[in-house]
Amino acid sequence: MNRTVLFVGLGIGAILVGILFLGLGKNPNEIRSPLIGKTAPNFALREVGTGRTIDLAALKGRPVVINFWATWCAPCWDEHPVLVANARALEPQGVQFLGVVFQDTEEKILGFLRQRGSGYPTVVDDRGKTAIAYGVGGVPETFFLDANGTIVAKYSGPLSADELQRNVRKALGQ
Amino acid sequence: MIVLLFLLTTLKVPDAQQFVGPPQGQPIAGAQLSARTDEVSALLRCPVCQGQAVVDSPAEMAVNMKAQVRELLARGYTEEQILEYFELSYGQFVLLRPKFEGVNTMVWLLPVIALALGVTVVFIKLRKLVRRAPAPAPAVDDEYLNRVRDLVSGGKS
Repeated sequence: MNRTVLFVGLGIGAILVGILFLGLGKNPNEIRSPLIGKTAPNFALREVGTGRTIDLAALKGRPVVINFWATWCAPCWDEHPVLVANARALEPQGVQFLGVVFQDTEEKILGFLRQRGSGYPTVVDDRGKTAIAYGVGGVPETFFLDANGTIVAKYSGPLSADELQRNVRKALGQ
Repeated sequence: MIVLLFLLTTLKVPDAQQFVGPPQGQPIAGAQLSARTDEVSALLRCPVCQGQAVVDSPAEMAVNMKAQVRELLARGYTEEQILEYFELSYGQFVLLRPKFEGVNTMVWLLPVIALALGVTVVFIKLRKLVRRAPAPAPAVDDEYLNRVRDLVSGGKS
């Protein structure tokens, strides 16, 4: 009986270790969102600073990088220069960057952008409805849309230049 | 130069109708709306909290989600439609009561299987114990027993 108990225990332990081992190979920042492969939820939000309305539907035909962020989010500060530099570098390829600010005030956003620079439009998600529709759990989170408006990737956490460019290539269909 | 089409359109946010169709229930209001908002929000996980329901969390994300639940109930969306709407964005992670499908079936079945196995093991063990129970003690000589009883009770034989 003791030998049976030992084998059953070892079997259960081996299964658990196997499951954990499989999980170790995954990048926790690359989230398998149920929205991947689906048309991005449409929105038309007010641009910070100008008050103009930016309609996502109007950007169809170009790959779009949508970055949800906030001024109170420290990792967003880290990735901001990466986003600004790549927005400028990828513009010739028609890639449009769009910032969606999450749970923040316009005054703080403007102060942040004045101080740290901006290379693309930023809109305000007032009551978080857009963030909810995109399944945003925290900031920063970035969605990559192809030219048809389909979400091809979602990245959670601060983006490095490599990660950003790798996902943009997906959006460009490369 | 960044080329963008700035449209003079009104602001719009993604609407539940785009995902789960028109409301399939009746609009509600007042105390009933507040009670149903709490009930449905209790079924949703706050995505920025540690295993906390939307109804219990003071986090701004949870407050926004609860406000959206309230708005959808007021418009006549059913509980099933609202849960489906959030599931389409966040996946089954957002549902505090996992669905009985796929790998999730194990969440429901494993406790039952574990209980059944436990009962079976206990039953088998008990049966073995009963079989191994010692045979009844041989009958004691009645005369000897009577003597002992007499001695104990102080009588004389």
